[in-house]
Amino acid sequence: MSEVSLTINGKEVRAKTEATILEAARSAGIDIPTLCYHEQLRPRGACRLCLVEITQGKRTRLVTSCVYNVAEGLKVETETDEVIKIRRMLLELMLATAPGVKKLQDYATRYGITRSRFAVEPDFCILCGLCVRYCTEVKGKNAIGFIGRGTRRQITFFPDIATVECPQCGECFSLCPTGVLPSNYALAKLPHFSYGAIRL
Amino acid sequence: MAKQKNKSAFVGLKVTSEQAETLARLQRTLKPGTKTEVLLKGLELLAARTADASPPQPREILSPAPELAASDELERLESQALRYLSDLQETRNRSEEVMRRMVKNIAQTDKIITHYGSDRNYLIQILLDIQRDNRWLPRDALMWVSEKLDIPLSRIYHIATFYKAFSLVPQGRHQVSVCLGTACHVRGAPRLLEKVADSLQIRPGETSRDLKFSLNTVNCLGCCALGPVMVVDEAYHSNPTTAEMADIFAACD
Amino acid sequence: MPKLKSAAALAARRREIQERYKKLTTVAVTDGSDGRTRGSRGVAQAFRDEITKQGLGDKVIVRQTGCQGFCEQEPTVLIMPGETCYVGVAEADVSEIVTQTLGRGEIVTRLLYTDPATGQAVAKESDIPFYKTQSRLVLGANRWLDMLSIDDYLALGGYAALAKALEMGPEAVLDEVKKSGLRGRGGGGFPTGIKWETTRNAPEATKYVIVNADEGDPGAYMDRSLLEGNPHSVIEGLIIGAYAIGARQGFVYVRQEYPLAVANLEVALEQAREYGLLGPNILGSGFDFDVAIHRGAGAFVSGESSALMTAIEGRVGEPRPKYIRTAFSGIGGKPSNLNNVETWANVPLIINRGAAWYAETGTKNSKGTKIFSLVGKVNNTGLVEVPMGTTLRQIIYDIGGGIPGGKKFKAVQTGGPSGGVIPESKLDTPIDFDELNKIGSMMGSGGMIVMDEDNCMVDVARYFLDFLAGESCGQCVPCREGIHQMLKILNRICASEGKPGDIELLGEIAEVVQKASLCALGATAPNPVLSTLKYFGDEYRAHIKDKRCPAGVCQDLIAYYIDPAKCQGCLICLRNCPAGAISGDKNLIHIIDQARCTKCNTCFEVCPPRFNAVRKISGEPLPEAVAPGTAVKRKRGEQDE
Repeated sequence: MSEVSLTINGKEVRAKTEATILEAARSAGIDIPTLCYHEQLRPRGACRLCLVEITQGKRTRLVTSCVYNVAEGLKVETETDEVIKIRRMLLELMLATAPGVKKLQDYATRYGITRSRFAVEPDFCILCGLCVRYCTEVKGKNAIGFIGRGTRRQITFFPDIATVECPQCGECFSLCPTGVLPSNYALAKLPHFSYGAIRL
Repeated sequence: MAKQKNKSAFVGLKVTSEQAETLARLQRTLKPGTKTEVLLKGLELLAARTADASPPQPREILSPAPELAASDELERLESQALRYLSDLQETRNRSEEVMRRMVKNIAQTDKIITHYGSDRNYLIQILLDIQRDNRWLPRDALMWVSEKLDIPLSRIYHIATFYKAFSLVPQGRHQVSVCLGTACHVRGAPRLLEKVADSLQIRPGETSRDLKFSLNTVNCLGCCALGPVMVVDEAYHSNPTTAEMADIFAACD
Repeated sequence: MPKLKSAAALAARRREIQERYKKLTTVAVTDGSDGRTRGSRGVAQAFRDEITKQGLGDKVIVRQTGCQGFCEQEPTVLIMPGETCYVGVAEADVSEIVTQTLGRGEIVTRLLYTDPATGQAVAKESDIPFYKTQSRLVLGANRWLDMLSIDDYLALGGYAALAKALEMGPEAVLDEVKKSGLRGRGGGGFPTGIKWETTRNAPEATKYVIVNADEGDPGAYMDRSLLEGNPHSVIEGLIIGAYAIGARQGFVYVRQEYPLAVANLEVALEQAREYGLLGPNILGSGFDFDVAIHRGAGAFVSGESSALMTAIEGRVGEPRPKYIRTAFSGIGGKPSNLNNVETWANVPLIINRGAAWYAETGTKNSKGTKIFSLVGKVNNTGLVEVPMGTTLRQIIYDIGGGIPGGKKFKAVQTGGPSGGVIPESKLDTPIDFDELNKIGSMMGSGGMIVMDEDNCMVDVARYFLDFLAGESCGQCVPCREGIHQMLKILNRICASEGKPGDIELLGEIAEVVQKASLCALGATAPNPVLSTLKYFGDEYRAHIKDKRCPAGVCQDLIAYYIDPAKCQGCLICLRNCPAGAISGDKNLIHIIDQARCTKCNTCFEVCPPRFNAVRKISGEPLPEAVAPGTAVKRKRGEQDE
């Protein structure tokens, strides 16, 4: 298996050619914050928390480390001022919809955010997509999926599949950063739930 | 009721012979244990039940005790029973209607899928055709697509709810759209939308109770010289007055 | 239609058709989607009927063509030879035209376009000021083509470029496109030749070429007009591109909001197949290629390249983080070359007349022409094709005829929701990819929306954010939540609830949305806000500090007031007010009850211009109301009405 050599925060790191920057960083003990990343799932680059600054040749830009492949001689900085500014704003935005999520609160503390300037509009879901992707990629059951778009994007269980599969499984429940997923599932089991109710 | 092996089990149901043929063919070609087979089994059972002889008359229910015939209480019970039986009959009729619709949906959907070569890449095109034919995406049609093309229902519902062209509830017979594109916006489209909504008595995104009109907004029809634009079915109208609108809507059946 | 098995057969067929058309007079009726809404179909049918009736059927041919660009004047009719152009034609005018113009060669003067500057009627199309300074290399063909006739396209020289390309060989074709300097017309402005080369060189046997006909920018309809009026120009360009790149399958992704374009495209593809210009062994060259249509389903974001390709796979059309170019890995992971409709339509021109000729038009870094949809507060609303380098002022005033109603120009918005506003001080900027970027906007797909003093720039920024909030796919936090929060701030500002610090917060959020978004929708979403802030910051400050909307648009910041010094008590506004908010009587001053007023603007619109008594007051307290029953003041010498 061939390897490449790259620099992360000034430290030289060796990684397999097909590794991502995030994997390489983790193997070197460097912690990059993530929300939508999970080792068993294909990375999506959706939450944008893992953005890092890379320099290749003369070009410097921001990329999501969970998706971006390592390369020989790549120079990576995971905590520049700009990266931190972005993470702070992302956290402020997310805390407006999910004020009680421990993982976000921990990151907020790490980056010095005490409160969000945005009015709280709490939602049961932070749309990280871990449950959906787990059910599709790992379990192959597709009992839960995304519907809608934009701020009206949400997850939903599909009763015909969920009532059969979920009682025996429930593996996605522990992945949920908000801890509310089991309640969401309980709602879906109610007899009045119908597809006509998916109105956005 | 015994099922004759060589005939379709749906013959007792009021479907056309063509539909019965379709269902019989589907029965023969399906893998056991699939969702569709379960669906068809359900249809079979329902067919069996509605093929029963007509329900007994009230007198037959009460006949074991003729000495009670003259009491008031009995008359009340009798009329209750009659009402119950007529409700039951109506439910049976409606379920036939529902089944007829389901069978029709499945046959139509199957035709559309075949037209696109049963190619999963054409999922969105298939859904567009189903929407066009039905003015919404009926659930049985979607389940049929999921089964036939081996696509998870979650992906189909994501597409159905992601795109504006689709509706999961029946739309009105007449589509009224107001363009909110930039050129129309600077020429006063929001005010036009208010007037249209008032005239139709529904908000954008809603359908009138009699399923006559659905009101939607669109993000640019590309006829900016006419802005602001209202479209009713396929006819475009440039900045209609309240009176003109009323005439246009009244002319729709 | 006979199958054309060689370039020679194509040439022979072309000569046949040209011979047939040689002595005919043609009547071209503009019958695209906008023309149809004004009855152009009826006009075309009336022409056919009348021509038959008057026995002129073997001398005259009627064509239903796509948009000619002069949309404000449709239905338009162009008669060749002679270039006689009639505007605003109704069915009732047709018999007169047939008798006089077709029969006797005389012009029907009342149906000619009258130049508002000179008051003179203009007989020839090319003399009409709207057309005079245009350079209609691409869109101009529309007037020669019946929308549903491939023979018309052949007669015009169509598919000669294809025959030539097949003769040149793929590398030479690629080279020609590179040398021409053609850059993408969809908004990205990426050098087309380089994109083709990347796809061609990708190490995979299966490749795809795609036409992006999603045209999502509201206010832009150039692609619709090309697809409706001249689909073959796009198809020919696509086949040439496929040949140069080595693709055997092409796709057209077209938005379903364009039913006529979809229908005409389907007909065109079928016709091309019948002639053997699509399918196996095109013109006997051994090159196989065919095209399939994918309709969109109503999502702006699906026009983004990675999203579009995902939709063609039958999946939800959401973008993906694009660190590997779609030219390397697109549909199904295969190299896919995506170009805009107008880009493809330029290709036959380049092959026919050569890269050197093409590069003579335009500026140093932006070659060729560009079609714009000039819409909004402008006299000559329509499609305009000009060489790159033409200034914005020339387009808006010389071609567009300036601002109607004697109003003052305020800004022109280009680049759609990803673009920015351009103020009067920058109107001498030449149309050029890089020049427009420098002033904080972009070329975009060609939408050019003119705004005047009655448009509020804060409202414009809010409009675009609202549009994008509804179109965001919602995958990534910066776009989904960032746009939502920016919109909330703008809504508050327009609702008289702006606070100090709002502008700074807008800027902070904007920076993160620009830098952190997953795709270009998010990354460019702050542009309208940032450009309106840059050039019209005072308007924002007026809204926030003074609670004033200078343009009189934001309803929560304006009050309607009838000036007692001007009101003549004519009852017109009183009768028209839908809320019954105006009290008064004949010859008594009318008074608006502010509590009942719904700000619908009706009184403002219906007050006779000679009185001009209704004012929109913003940012200052209302003057004290007059007592009900006060009589109007007449100017000295006027009678009581």
